[in-house]
Amino acid sequence: MASDLDTQRMGATPHWKPHNVIGEMSLRDLLFSNDYKCIALKGILTSFVMLALGGAFALAFRTELAVPDIQFLGARPYMTLMTLHGMLMVFGFVIPIVISICYYMMPKVLGTGRLLWAGAAQASYWTLILAAVLLIISRPDFTWTLYPPMSLRVGGDLVWMGYVAVVLVAISEFLAGAVLLRNAWASKGRWMKMPMMGWGMMAEGGLLLLSTPLLGLTGLVLLTDWMGVTALFDPSRGGDVMTFMYMFWFYGHPAVYLPLVPAIAIIYTLMPRLLGRPMWSYMSGVIAFVLLFILSFVVFPHHFQPATTVFGVVQRVTQGLTLMIFIPSTLHVFNWIATLWSDRIPSSAMRSTPFQFMIGAIFFLIIGGVTGFLNAQISVDTDFIHNTYWVPAHFHAMFLGFCAQMAIAGVYYLYPYFTGRMYNQRLADTHFWLWQIGIFTKVMLMYALGYAYFPRWVVDYLPLAEWTGSQFALTGAAYLIGIGFLVFVTNMVWSATRGRIAEDDPWPVSDDATPSAAAVPAE
Amino acid sequence: MQNALGLMGDQAIMIAITFALGIGGIAALFLALFWPKRWRMKYRMEVGFVLLLVAVAIYADWRSTETFQAYDAGLRAEGVSGTIVDPAARASFDRTITVLAFQWGFVFTTEDGKISRNAVRVEPGEKVLFQILSNDVIHGFNIPVAGITTEFDPGKDREIWIKAPREPGKYLIQCVNYCGVGHAQMKAWLVVGDIEAA
Repeated sequence: MASDLDTQRMGATPHWKPHNVIGEMSLRDLLFSNDYKCIALKGILTSFVMLALGGAFALAFRTELAVPDIQFLGARPYMTLMTLHGMLMVFGFVIPIVISICYYMMPKVLGTGRLLWAGAAQASYWTLILAAVLLIISRPDFTWTLYPPMSLRVGGDLVWMGYVAVVLVAISEFLAGAVLLRNAWASKGRWMKMPMMGWGMMAEGGLLLLSTPLLGLTGLVLLTDWMGVTALFDPSRGGDVMTFMYMFWFYGHPAVYLPLVPAIAIIYTLMPRLLGRPMWSYMSGVIAFVLLFILSFVVFPHHFQPATTVFGVVQRVTQGLTLMIFIPSTLHVFNWIATLWSDRIPSSAMRSTPFQFMIGAIFFLIIGGVTGFLNAQISVDTDFIHNTYWVPAHFHAMFLGFCAQMAIAGVYYLYPYFTGRMYNQRLADTHFWLWQIGIFTKVMLMYALGYAYFPRWVVDYLPLAEWTGSQFALTGAAYLIGIGFLVFVTNMVWSATRGRIAEDDPWPVSDDATPSAAAVPAE
Repeated sequence: MQNALGLMGDQAIMIAITFALGIGGIAALFLALFWPKRWRMKYRMEVGFVLLLVAVAIYADWRSTETFQAYDAGLRAEGVSGTIVDPAARASFDRTITVLAFQWGFVFTTEDGKISRNAVRVEPGEKVLFQILSNDVIHGFNIPVAGITTEFDPGKDREIWIKAPREPGKYLIQCVNYCGVGHAQMKAWLVVGDIEAA
């Protein structure tokens, strides 16, 4: 039998009762209340607006890319849409939504009862909204990586708003990090009893607090360089591009873990709950979170490793550490698979949409993760990986395939708790399959195009046989994902008033899933 | 395909390892879901699996470094790596070409002072040294047929070398780092041999 400690820290018990929280919430509450549910739901809803915008931009430039030559988008609007797509998806959707879901879960899962430092979470939200508005008005076309001196010489008169937006994003994420760390820190003195979400939030909070100051500073220097006050990043005026590279990627690489870590924490919350048994190993998960936190700060030079300053010892160490970063990811995946395998999977879990999306997410984490093994190697990187479609294939597998799908799993899971109703199962199934087929096709074609040296960030391309068919099909895959999102939104809206009333426990574990002796953790 | 890094042997192994890891992981996930037999894994299995992956990573690190250093040594041994180029070293290459990358194109200058824009002629099988520089923004320089990519900051020279394909023809050269709105048009051609005669 699982011990009380296992049940507590790898918990399988419900945390809420279904209730029409969102229906009873006034607009004023939703916008300004410091209640954790209001803050979390506001974050989740806003993230979906950002996803809709970023997704619409993607469909526009994907349509342009379906066939060679320029059809209806010129180079500048194309790059503006591409830049806004990247920035809205990363800063506006995938990071905020998983953090918002954690805001919703933490008070109950960690036992604090409320969101500590909720005022900071509120400030974080509104700062991000201001950043998004400024960013869209500025119509940037310098990609989300902002490489100077190019980024200092493009855009219109309003481009300064884009740099201010970067500073605001840093402030927003810093505040969110403080909130997450504060809530996890509330378990001080009983850390080894802390649910896995607590360890995830410790790692996430640490990542945000340590990495975002340099992002803010980078945005500020870009602004002052653009104004002509400084010239730190501009070689033509005595600056050095590598200063930017080291500053930006000190944030930029941990940034790829910012949506990943909460998504992992959500798995550790949903899996025991839906299976009705504790995780296979507690310590394995804790070690993985700690390792992920440490390694994420020391591998960032791999983003610019063909550069002149990354050679010799730096190059070798970066390569070695980057290859090692799969260890914490492997520990997590091993833990999840071992948990699934340790006893029968309840039919209730297999039928549930959160579980299905969670399995889909793990599937794509494996696909995205293993290719990191190739990305890390300098010899392969300098062949077909660096700045070809291979790179977006890798991060779409991770961001869309894993992080976004875990966010969706989290929302389906919480849905009966904040609406009091169940979603429509048929629509949810349709959404699930449209996304699995769409994302898989998209990611695989991007890998294939990368292997064929298709470059990133191009509005037009040569009509080469190895490129054209894949680009056309890739556009089709993007539409499948877009249709899936529309089905999801329809389901969420329709079911909120017409869905079946949720039972006391919307996620009961069916009888045939009673844990056997084999399910007892081995520790 | 001619590959400047001489990667194909190692690269094929690394891709095979990646496929094996991916298929193995997905197979384990689906077996855990659908195989009727349940299995309580031992903790030492996880330790063993991680140690196996560490060994694979060390192997990859070693092979990648060996390959890249061997390629790099081809430059360093000839004294051309770095900003100061030993003119005598150029003799080890069949041809040395200076490349100026700009928004948005490439200008090639040959040893005898011939200048061409967005196309450069070499002979089949030649060992060609490219000395690349940018005077505006960060650009990339990728020759797919040679399997080589580099990225270079303004004001900092880079050198790469390739072995030109043996088949006469036009081969793509492209910028792979976003450098402004004309990035998609920043392409050039490596013209190998006499195309018309071929």
